[in-house]
Amino acid sequence: MNTRARVSRRTFLKATAATGVIVACGGPTTAPPAATGTKAATLSGTITVSYPDELGLKPKYVDKAATDLKAKYSGLDVKVDLQKISSGDYYTKLLLALSGGGDVPDVIHVGGDRIGELADAGYIEPLDRYVSQWEDWKNYPDAVKDGVKYQGKVWAIPYGLDMRWLYIRREHMDKAGLGAEWTPKNVDDILTAAKAVKDKVSGVIPYALYAGAAGDTGTANHSFVPLVWAYGGDIIDKNGKWIGDSPAVRKALDYYARTYNGGLTPKELLTTTKPWTAMRENEGKGTLALLFEGGWVYGGWTKAPFDPAAVQKNVHYVLHPTSTGGPSFTIGGPGTCWYVTAKSKNKDAAWAYIAQWNNKDTVAKLNIEDPHPVARTDSADVAEFKAQQYLVDSTEALKKARFIPTDANYGKVIGAIQKATGRVAAGEMSPDDAAKRYTDDLKQAIGADKVITQ
Amino acid sequence: MTAVGAGAVRPRSPSATTAFRRNGAYVAGLTPAALLLTLFFVGPSLWALYTSFTNKALVGLDAARPRFVGLDNYLRLFSDPDFATVILNSVVFVVGSAIIGQFVLGLLLALLLDHAERRRYRLATVAYAAVLLAWVNPTLIAGFLWVAMFDFFYGSLNTGLQLVGLPPVDWLGRFPMLAVIIANIWRGTAFTMLIFLGALKTIPTDIYEAARVDGANAWRRFWDHTLPSLRPIAALALLSITMSTFGTFILIQTLTNGGPGIRTETIALYAFHEAFRSYAIGYGSTIAVVMLALNAAFAVFYLRWSRARA
Repeated sequence: MNTRARVSRRTFLKATAATGVIVACGGPTTAPPAATGTKAATLSGTITVSYPDELGLKPKYVDKAATDLKAKYSGLDVKVDLQKISSGDYYTKLLLALSGGGDVPDVIHVGGDRIGELADAGYIEPLDRYVSQWEDWKNYPDAVKDGVKYQGKVWAIPYGLDMRWLYIRREHMDKAGLGAEWTPKNVDDILTAAKAVKDKVSGVIPYALYAGAAGDTGTANHSFVPLVWAYGGDIIDKNGKWIGDSPAVRKALDYYARTYNGGLTPKELLTTTKPWTAMRENEGKGTLALLFEGGWVYGGWTKAPFDPAAVQKNVHYVLHPTSTGGPSFTIGGPGTCWYVTAKSKNKDAAWAYIAQWNNKDTVAKLNIEDPHPVARTDSADVAEFKAQQYLVDSTEALKKARFIPTDANYGKVIGAIQKATGRVAAGEMSPDDAAKRYTDDLKQAIGADKVITQ
Repeated sequence: MTAVGAGAVRPRSPSATTAFRRNGAYVAGLTPAALLLTLFFVGPSLWALYTSFTNKALVGLDAARPRFVGLDNYLRLFSDPDFATVILNSVVFVVGSAIIGQFVLGLLLALLLDHAERRRYRLATVAYAAVLLAWVNPTLIAGFLWVAMFDFFYGSLNTGLQLVGLPPVDWLGRFPMLAVIIANIWRGTAFTMLIFLGALKTIPTDIYEAARVDGANAWRRFWDHTLPSLRPIAALALLSITMSTFGTFILIQTLTNGGPGIRTETIALYAFHEAFRSYAIGYGSTIAVVMLALNAAFAVFYLRWSRARA
C-alpha cells in the first residue's frame, strides 16, 4: 500500500504539474454524458447523495447534477442529503451510519486521505468496472488516478486537489522591520519573523501553528508533517513503517516548544473549537501575520466581508521552507472525493451520479469558487480558470508538492501527532520526552510491529 | 444521563400469586420505566461491556473484522500513562465543581434564599430566577456563554481588560481547569439549591423558636438544627451531582475540548476522543465501562453513607 503512495507521489508531481502545460494545449472537449460507462441502459429506483458543506458553495452543483440525472432517467429519483456541518463531524456521523446495520447513503463525499481506512473497513465500493468504461477518465492524469488507488483498485473520484501555502502579511513584515517582501530562507526564519512581529507590531497575532486535538487534521497536515519534512525527516519509511522518535521529529517538536513558549502562537489555539476558522479569518483581516494553511483558504478572502483589494496587496503566499534553505515545498493531496458505498443497493445509479457531477464545467467552476487545482486536466482549460492567477500559481506549486501518506493507519497516526504536539505546546512535556511518548502512542494505536525509531 | 438504581424490594409472601396480587399495581406502574431503562441504559451498558473485550473500530480492518481480545484493552488502559492524568483531572473537576462548588454554594444560596423568603424580601424572587436561569439553559448554550466570557480574542473578560489598558489574558490556556470548574459551578448550583430549598421548607419553624427562647445564636441554630435536618437529603444531592459531574461532557468539550494538552481531559472526554476521534470503539468502550464502575462505586458509597446517617 505504501509502495503505491510512493509511486503516486513522484508521478503525481509530474502529472499534476503537466496540468498547467496541458492547459495551454487545451484540446477538444465535449460535455460528458451523464452516465457514461454505466452498463445499465436505464436506471431506476432511488439513490441518496450525502455531502457536508458549511460554506454553501457546493449545493447548486450537487442539485444540478441530481436534476440532470433525473431528466435522463425518468424512473430514477435522486435524493440529496446536505449536512451543514464540518467535514470532520460529517465523517464521524457517516462512520456511525456505515458501521451500523441500517440504510446508508449511496454516494458519499469524504477526503481522499481516508480511502485506505474506508476500503479496509469494507465501507466503499471499488470503481474500476465503472471508470474502465468512463470516457472522461482519460482526462485525469495517471498520478491523480494513482492518488485514489488503494491495493490496486480505484475507490473514489477526486475533483479538486489539495495544496498549502505559507501566508505572510506584507504590512506586518514591513512594520516589524523585515521589509514588505520578506520571505523565510529557512524554517527557523518563520519564528524570527514571528518574534519581530510580536515585539514591534501591536494587536496582531504573530503566528498560528496548530497543535493538539483542537487543531484536528490541521495539526498534522498544516503543521507537524511539514515541519518534520522541513527538518529532513519523514513520518513513514520506504517499507511502510511509521517513524516515531527521530531527529526530525524532535526538531519539529522543539519548533513547537519555541513557538508556544515564546508566546508566538496563543495557547488559546489548543482549546478553541475549530481554531482554524478564527485563524483563517484573522489572516484574511490582517490580525494574524503568519499562517501555513490550505490553498483553498485564499478563496474565502476574495469576497465580503474581506477586502479583496487589500488581500491582494497584503497577503503574500509562498512555499514551506526547509531547515537548510533547500528547495521549498508544499503538501499535496487528492482533496475531497466522491465515493459509492459498498452497502448501496443501486450502485450503477450511484456511479452515474458521480459521473454526472464530475463533468468538465462543474469541476472548473467549483474549483474557481473554492480554489483548488483541478483534478481533470480539461477543466483547467476553461477560460475563467486560466484567468485566476492564484489558481495558476497553486497548480504550478503542485510541481513542488510532497504527498501525505495514504496508509490506512494515517487517521490513528494523526491522533498520536495531536497528543505529541499538544503536550509540548501546553508545556506538559519537553520535546525529547514528547518524541519518546510519540513512539509509545504510535505503537499503542497501530501496533508495535508497524513503528520504528531513527 | 446517569440512572440511579434503587434497592429492589423483596416481598416475603408465601406464594408468587399472592405476591403478584399484592404488588401487581406497583409492577404494572414500574414496567414502562424498567423497560425504558433496560432499552436505553442496561442494553447499551451490556453492549459496551461486550465491546470492551474486542478491538472493534469504526475504520480499517478492525471495523470489518473485529476480534475478541480478552483483557487487552483493560491492560492497555491501566498501563496508559495518560489515564492517571485523566482520572486526576476528573477527581479535581468533581471535587472542585460538584462537591466544593455546587454543593457548598447551593447550600449557602438555599439558606440565603430561604432566609430572604421567610422575611419576604422582594429581591429573593429575582435572585431565585437568576440562579435558575443558569440551570435551565441547555448545557451547550451555557458552554458558549462561558466561551464568550473567556475567549482570548473576542471574550468579554479580555475586552474589559483592554478597555482599562491591561493586556489580554489567555484564560483557557493558562487556567483551563479553573475555567471549566467555574462554568460548571455556575451551571449546576441551582440543582443543589433547589433540593436544599425544598428540604429547608420542611423544617418546622417552632424548632427555631424554641432554640431562640433557649438563647441559641444563629450559628448554633444552624449547626444543631438545620444541618442535621438536611443530612439525608445531602447524601442524595451529593450522589446526583457527583455522578452528573463525573459524566460532564458537553460543557468541557465546548470550553476546552480537554485541552490544552490533556489538562482538562476528564474520563468522559477521554472515552469520547478514543471512540469517536481515534475511532477505537473497543478501547473507548473500555474507558466507558471503567467510568460506569466508578459511578457505581460512588452510588454504593453515598447510599450507604446516607443510610448510616439516617
